[in-house]
Amino acid sequence: MFKYIGFRIFQALLGLWFIATLVFILSRSIGDPAEVFTARNSGVDAREIMAAKLGLDRPVHEQYLKFLGQLVRLDLGDSVSNGIPVTQILVERMPATLTLGLVALIFALALSLPLGVLGAVYRDSAIDWIAKVLAFLGQSMPPFWSGIMLIILFAVVWEMLPPAGKGGWQSYILPGFTLGWGVMAGMVRLVRSSMMDVLDSDYVAMARAKGLPEAVVIGKHALRNALLPVLTYSSLVLGAFMNGSVVVEQVFAWPGIGTSAVQSVVRRDFPVIQGVVIVFGSFFILINLFVDILYAVIDPRIKYTQ
Amino acid sequence: MANTTMQVASPGTAWLVRVRSSFSVARRAPKIPAAVLLILLIFAGFGQWIAPHSPVAVDMANSFAPPVWHEEGSANNLLGTDKLGRDILSRLIRGARVSLSLSLFVIALGGGVGVALGLISGYAGGKVDAVMQRGIEVILAMPTILVALVFVFAVGRSFESVILILSPFLAARFARIVRGETLSVRERDFVAIAKVIGTPAWMILLRHILPNVFNTIIVLATLEVGHLILLESSLSFLGVGVPPPQPAWGLMVADGREFLTSAYWITLFPGLCILAAVLSLNLFGDWLRDTLDPRRRQL
Repeated sequence: MFKYIGFRIFQALLGLWFIATLVFILSRSIGDPAEVFTARNSGVDAREIMAAKLGLDRPVHEQYLKFLGQLVRLDLGDSVSNGIPVTQILVERMPATLTLGLVALIFALALSLPLGVLGAVYRDSAIDWIAKVLAFLGQSMPPFWSGIMLIILFAVVWEMLPPAGKGGWQSYILPGFTLGWGVMAGMVRLVRSSMMDVLDSDYVAMARAKGLPEAVVIGKHALRNALLPVLTYSSLVLGAFMNGSVVVEQVFAWPGIGTSAVQSVVRRDFPVIQGVVIVFGSFFILINLFVDILYAVIDPRIKYTQ
Repeated sequence: MANTTMQVASPGTAWLVRVRSSFSVARRAPKIPAAVLLILLIFAGFGQWIAPHSPVAVDMANSFAPPVWHEEGSANNLLGTDKLGRDILSRLIRGARVSLSLSLFVIALGGGVGVALGLISGYAGGKVDAVMQRGIEVILAMPTILVALVFVFAVGRSFESVILILSPFLAARFARIVRGETLSVRERDFVAIAKVIGTPAWMILLRHILPNVFNTIIVLATLEVGHLILLESSLSFLGVGVPPPQPAWGLMVADGREFLTSAYWITLFPGLCILAAVLSLNLFGDWLRDTLDPRRRQL
């Protein structure tokens, strides 16, 4: 197992290195790097200072090592539009993105658990169909559009919730639901099928044969066992949220990392984009690493050949 | 009875039997999704003859015209017009071509490469397989939308750059699944026999393994087209997809955002198109999987 964990850590580092290298190559191929890393109408002086900072007079491999060295020290440069260090921007915006992801996960679980369980217990009933329709819609709707439609309904027509921005707890509902709906689809299917497997098992038949009330059989004996795959799936879903949050934050003007990524594309603010990709990419890879290690620790049956 | 046997046996009419049996399978396809997909294909192929107006013709005098069922609406613009007076319906029809052709290009390029890599990786095994799998895992562990955002920022916004950046992600997904299938087909007797009689590896891959993983590829491609339409429209919405004035559905949704309360139709209809297309592809793909490939229910 330790060999496997060691290998996974190595692989994660490889992934991080790959993303960093990709960003480096891009930053050097768009145009003159001194221009890429300075504001568009900055003078010759600013560009010369940047050229010195990036070491543009040095050979490419030295520039590359310097870039990696700065990364390791968490120095991502300064934003070209307002001069604030990129690391500071990201640290300020990270909590908004993380809380949104958490709210979305809670929504997804709160919907998919009851729907999936009831769908498995009452197969082909009305509730099973409702679960299926909700799941298919969540899977097929572009989140940017469902978000806008929810804004129209709940903020414009019924005026129940704020349309955008981050404020009180009400402001979390629409973006959280929009983001959660997309992953709810996979979860409902997973809960339903894993619940159906468990319901056919011997220990559930045994519990029924003992004459336990059906609620106890389902709630205590079946659900607990059906939850394991769902929990592991939820941790993977956090990665999917990072992808979705770019779009959803944009729709709801949410002050998170995704919004700053899109804004910096519009402003052609390369240092910020570079920072967002590196941070998001690292997060994504670290979550995957964490899940795999958790698997190895929880489930000793899995044989790791690598 | 004798008649049918003769038909099957005679090589001249065997194709007829095959066409008939595939026709009877196709008749069981889910009707509404199949119909929606057919309409989209017709729009994509023959849109310029069906659309009532040019999708890019600006008519400022006629901007924000509501759909025909509103009092001020007219039959000239069935689904209304946008802020530049362009006909929404014509733009939607043209958008079908943008979305579908882009997805098909990505499927052809990324899917083709992915199938080839998956076949080689699964058949070769050993070190080749290990290296390829690690590479694929790295790609799958990257956030697609963000990487696409940076890439398009760097190389510029165009139809081709969107295809180029989405293809590797698709290739990785194809390669992973095709590899798994190849691993099991590789162990079958006919592959062993082909090896014994000295068939070259590329021939075994093409003639013996590929036909046996083909159903999986078809199902995967159908489901992935839906996924690609969602990705492409998200990129268009974020402003890094297919450049204007090409009417991509995601871009149309973004265009209408400022006018949600006054002109909802600019946003509503393109979103419905995306929903209809992706939902139909998912339902149709599920049916295809159950029909062609019942073992892979969780694909």
